[in-house]
Amino acid sequence: MQHPLELYPTGSVRALLDTDQVSPATRKALQRRLNEPAVHTPKFLTPPQFATLQLVAFRLIPQIEVDMAGPLDARLADNEGDGWRFSALPPDREAHRCVLQLLSEAQFCSLSAAEQDGLLTDLQHGRLTGPAWLRGPEYFQELLAELSEIYFSHPLAQERIGYVGMADTPGWERIGLNQREEREPGERGE
Amino acid sequence: MNGVSDVVDVVVIGTGAGGAPVLARLAAAGLSVVALEAGREWRPADQWATDERSQHELFWKHERLSAGENPLAFGNNNSGTGVGGSTLHYTAYVPRAQPDDFALQRGFGVGVDWPLGYADLERYYDEVEHFLGVSGPTPYPWGPARSQGYPLPPLPANAAAQLMKSACDQLGYRSSPAPNAALSAPRRQPGGAANYRPACSNRGFCQAGCSTGAKASMDVTYLPLARHHGARIEPNSFVTHFELTAGRISAVIYRQGNRELRQACRAVFLCAGAIETPRLLLRTGLANSSGQVGRNFMAHCGMQLWGQFEEATRPFKGIPGGWISEDTHRPRGADFAGGYLLQSIGVMPVTYAAQLARGPSLWGPALLRHMERYNHVAGINICGDCLPHPDNRLELSDEVDALGLPKPRIFFTQGENERRMTAHAEDVMRQLWEAVGARDVWTLNRNAHLMGTCRMGSDPSSSVVDAAGCSHDLPNLWISDHSTFPSALSVNPVLTLCALALRSADHFLERLH
Repeated sequence: MQHPLELYPTGSVRALLDTDQVSPATRKALQRRLNEPAVHTPKFLTPPQFATLQLVAFRLIPQIEVDMAGPLDARLADNEGDGWRFSALPPDREAHRCVLQLLSEAQFCSLSAAEQDGLLTDLQHGRLTGPAWLRGPEYFQELLAELSEIYFSHPLAQERIGYVGMADTPGWERIGLNQREEREPGERGE
Repeated sequence: MNGVSDVVDVVVIGTGAGGAPVLARLAAAGLSVVALEAGREWRPADQWATDERSQHELFWKHERLSAGENPLAFGNNNSGTGVGGSTLHYTAYVPRAQPDDFALQRGFGVGVDWPLGYADLERYYDEVEHFLGVSGPTPYPWGPARSQGYPLPPLPANAAAQLMKSACDQLGYRSSPAPNAALSAPRRQPGGAANYRPACSNRGFCQAGCSTGAKASMDVTYLPLARHHGARIEPNSFVTHFELTAGRISAVIYRQGNRELRQACRAVFLCAGAIETPRLLLRTGLANSSGQVGRNFMAHCGMQLWGQFEEATRPFKGIPGGWISEDTHRPRGADFAGGYLLQSIGVMPVTYAAQLARGPSLWGPALLRHMERYNHVAGINICGDCLPHPDNRLELSDEVDALGLPKPRIFFTQGENERRMTAHAEDVMRQLWEAVGARDVWTLNRNAHLMGTCRMGSDPSSSVVDAAGCSHDLPNLWISDHSTFPSALSVNPVLTLCALALRSADHFLERLH
């Protein structure tokens, strides 16, 4: 599949990771994420719930370079949180299991792309039939925010958006409008 | 239980902007002091990655339940852990409050007045700015004339700062480089510890942890000073309750890993922040004869407005809040009490994407196309006053956390005043950003900073601590954190909090004699 984003050249972050412009702690964190294999067997969700999550993630953030469902399942398996949740929502494990089960029972994975997006639009706007807490925007926002955090913290995603802020050991001097330093990739045609 | 140790003069609970200055002040005065910090100690240069997700370790992870019509995000939004507290990930935006901020009731007939004023804090503002090494413009364009300027010149302007300056110039708002507690030139810390701090390298990573020491978090400022004077800091120490003897706290009980430990003491400074401080007091039933513990929770109006520009902004570079205008401190013809400041904002990509999910919630190809323009994004936001309301509160829920303690539930709903102020600010910000060519503008109506829940006042029936920070009920319990703020002020809280902490410590020392 062709990636929808082509404004920046690929390979920029990976090339910088091997240089001394990236600190050892930063290199270690990003290299580990790059090397992380995609998860095929979930640790917390059931296989149908997990397959649903994989496809939901793909509809929300349409790319296949980065595994987004795996890290979310791993977090739920570890029962880790981010320090808060909407009081209106049940605990994270329960909320995700509930929604993914609902979508799984609606045969989400067998639907057409347009039907899948229709169901996700219903989820976003509180129109999915289910527990009362699904009538608010909170669950959808939390899901989208977490998948976004997973995706955009990945070096491959950062290459796609031309972000090389991790290469910061020399600091940045050209910080004003239309300024970039040599190690920052330009846009195609720039 | 084990580890019964010698009696110390003071236990300080928490090492953030409220606790660290107290610890340093009391240690310098020759008292024996121990700080109990729930978080771990870090070696930022070796351990911190320029990677937003790794840096989640700096955020308070004990789950909080967020309720009300405008439920607040905690965690990475405003709640830190570690030796240095939330200052480990604050943006170091440190304007002073203005005199009228302390007297909203007198000025507008709403809210409550502080039992102290700008004049009481002025010399502490001077002291804190000098000690932290604030970089900022001299003279500062707003507020009363000052006896001393900022110790360092302003930090360089990034793209968002340049855009805000241009927008303000066009629309006739005065604007200026912001005061930031990050060094524009290297120096050694004054006061004895003399630790070296380099100039800011424009990493733009303040909110996820400064690995160089340029930013004035407590771990490179007041805590080294406290240690220099003999203070002991115990990381990974979560306080669960107190022992009382004859109406005074005689010991602090805390968990360190699986161990329960006890620290006997003559006095306690509770500096755990506007959530954990009332949570501990409600759990123990102490210092609450007023019924005000947990009440009047406040969070600044903090709407962000984002736009995309033809020019490249590369918004991860430079101090995030580089520019300021306080021309909206008391806007003419406003239909609300108080006011707000305007601030330019840069942003890291993961934070931006998460904000986008909570704002317009773009998804699918529209999300990717939007994010592809990340290097053209710049934002502007406000920090605006918030009136105290008793229904905005913290209570103990019936869910328990990993330690078996009730999770806090925090209710927050913007009142009419906050809604009007936010509407005014949105209009102003939209005009500013459109004047410099912003497209695809979107807003995130959020609230920022945690204040109130143990407010100070002179009347014991309506406040938890007195103007010095001492509990009305327990003579050897003091509170030094933003829980004591009676009203929110129209500026970011850390500078005022440090000033208040030093003042509180000085009053404590005076009362000893």
